[in-house]
Amino acid sequence: MSEKIKNRFLIICVICSAVAAIIGIQMIRIQSTKAAQQLLDASVNYQGESRVIYPDRGNIYDSKGRLLAGNETSYEVALDLNSVTQPETIASIAASVLGLDYTQVLDYAQTPPGNGNPYYQVLDDFVSQDKIIELETIKADYNSRTAKGNQILPDIDGLVWTAHSQRTYPEGTLASNILGFYSYLDRTGGEGYFGLEEAYNSQLAGTPQEVYFVYDPQRLTTVEEVPPGVTLVLTLDREIQAMTEKQLDEAIEWSGAEGGTIIVYNPEDGAVISMATTPRLDPNKYWEYSDLFPNPAPYNAAISKTYEPGSVFKVLTVAAALDSGLVDPDTHFQDTGAFNIGGSTIYNWNMGAWGDVDMTECLQYSLNVCMSWLSTEMGADTFYTYLKNFGLDRKTGIDLAGENNWPMKLPGDNLWYEVDLATNSFGQGISVTPIQMAMAIGSVANDGRMMAPHLVKAMIIDGKQYDVDPVVVGTPIKAETAQTLTGMLVNSLENEASSALVEGYTVAGKTGTGEIATPLGYSSSETNTSFVGWGPAEDPKFLVYIWLEKPSISIWGSEVAAPVFSELVSKLVVLMDIPPDSVRLAGGNLVTGK
Amino acid sequence: MLQAYKQAPWRTQVQWVGIFLLVVVAVATIAGLYLYISGRSAATGRRIQNLESELASLQRQNNDLETQLGEIQSERSLAERIKSMKMRPLTPEEALYLEVPGYVPAEGPSLAPPPAAKEENTPVLLPEFTDTFLEWLSSKLRSGIQNPTPTSEVQP
Repeated sequence: MSEKIKNRFLIICVICSAVAAIIGIQMIRIQSTKAAQQLLDASVNYQGESRVIYPDRGNIYDSKGRLLAGNETSYEVALDLNSVTQPETIASIAASVLGLDYTQVLDYAQTPPGNGNPYYQVLDDFVSQDKIIELETIKADYNSRTAKGNQILPDIDGLVWTAHSQRTYPEGTLASNILGFYSYLDRTGGEGYFGLEEAYNSQLAGTPQEVYFVYDPQRLTTVEEVPPGVTLVLTLDREIQAMTEKQLDEAIEWSGAEGGTIIVYNPEDGAVISMATTPRLDPNKYWEYSDLFPNPAPYNAAISKTYEPGSVFKVLTVAAALDSGLVDPDTHFQDTGAFNIGGSTIYNWNMGAWGDVDMTECLQYSLNVCMSWLSTEMGADTFYTYLKNFGLDRKTGIDLAGENNWPMKLPGDNLWYEVDLATNSFGQGISVTPIQMAMAIGSVANDGRMMAPHLVKAMIIDGKQYDVDPVVVGTPIKAETAQTLTGMLVNSLENEASSALVEGYTVAGKTGTGEIATPLGYSSSETNTSFVGWGPAEDPKFLVYIWLEKPSISIWGSEVAAPVFSELVSKLVVLMDIPPDSVRLAGGNLVTGK
Repeated sequence: MLQAYKQAPWRTQVQWVGIFLLVVVAVATIAGLYLYISGRSAATGRRIQNLESELASLQRQNNDLETQLGEIQSERSLAERIKSMKMRPLTPEEALYLEVPGYVPAEGPSLAPPPAAKEENTPVLLPEFTDTFLEWLSSKLRSGIQNPTPTSEVQP
């Protein structure tokens, strides 16, 4: 090789090396500029996306595992404007299948994306699965066609749908006062309102998680499984709830009452078996709430509405008198028909004097004068201490949102007068909720132990069932007092041949008629009628509390609420598999045959 | 002397060509392996994505079916079916009670096992996809040491 050629090769090598070096330097320079860094940063957006995964809201079941609140799939239908090829076809299909406005959809579909216009336009949300199947069928039909020559085939490319979860209540209005509702139309900020949906909102909702989805399939990542919200299993029995609601509706219609409440409660463990109130909202259409519940109507009167209960309260007064040792069932009282206290005179319901009566007769004839005597003999301290022990000065703490209570007036308070000691003894001048009364009187049915009312029997968290233990709130009276009083109330119902009696079953109970306070004083023409009863008397499995507001057929609890109790309990014992006394007291273990 | 030990020019050229070809083959082998592994990894990743999507879809279907079942078995639907079958609720007088010695009434249904029943979590990504060759080798060696293969036959 000549020297000349060697030099040429050398020059070429130098030039190539120089070019390579320049290219290399330029590559490094380009990659280290600010613009390159911005480009690199921007590329992150195309490597994947961060999504917030909202877990499925927890289901709610009744005590037998029947679904009361669940979830179903619904769809968001939208336009992917980059993919739209035939706006007219899309508008036509959206109008015919989804019932949307043709002109508006066409307007959206013809809008070119970018330059301030959206790339993705939502047309409709919460579209049912049936409609989506219809759209899928149309799309499949269009895609299966083959063009002949220059023929343009219809397509709905750009019309897209995305599945998501929607809260649903298969039972409609059943137990809606207990369940509350979930504002599912707000997909990111939905909240539970009232009842269990509000009380357990955070548990039912679960914990939303932000998850980064990588588009590059080479980057193997495991997406953390988002556990669903907590599932609730209730103490509520759907069949009994349905029966209770039916009985309440019939009672309201029959009695001409303005409204009502019935609670079926297990005094042994505080489990609420059913709780019916009026009105009831279909939680699937929760937006009708304001029409159905104009202010200040409570969503669940059983826990939110206070009233003066009247004579059902006498159960607590006599319980206190017996437990404090003031009287026993055989103690006699001379009823003169009037009782003077604090400058006022207390009369019986019929303004009559009943003469020599024992304590059972005081209950049987529902004597206000007798009760006033008992409370004053006990003294304010003892009487109100018992009322506090019965939990009437506070909320019960039931696991439902919206519980209310009326502050109890006590001696020393500005609004407390001496006469209140007498009127409180027969349930006037004191306001309570039905659930407070059910819990307090439940202690009489449960050997003196007062149980916290509750609706959640168990929770299912991460696939494991955690049972909720019953809670003893207190023991306001002794077991002997409770048994004695139950016996007195059994006798008083039987002696009276009350319309509350249930054939074949021994039940204890008490009627109540509460006058309603108005700006002009108490009205005797408008009353709140109540009944509280429990059974079987020797081993109570249920306590039923009934309140019918302002009935027009009669003002008396014994004529309005008592027969409702009898009818309800005759159905309840069948649904609860409780045999009649003749079978049950004969002993042995029993199977119900139906 | 120098001339005697100096290799022939063609030998030097063959050596260079050989080295070059060796480098090419090595690079091609590594590239092939890389392609194979990344291809498999991509396919598996895609499969995981599809399975995750399928899982979400199945969960939604499960919810839908549960809701449908709830609607079919709802109190309102059952009441309508009972009415169409000309049935009515039982009255207390019609109920028949039988004595069964030792019978314990069944408690309500349990929708999930109690917390005591603990399950072992299985990782979604198996070690085969995350371990390096050296990690795999050392784990095999460790397990081999801990559980040696019996050398003699075990007599019953």
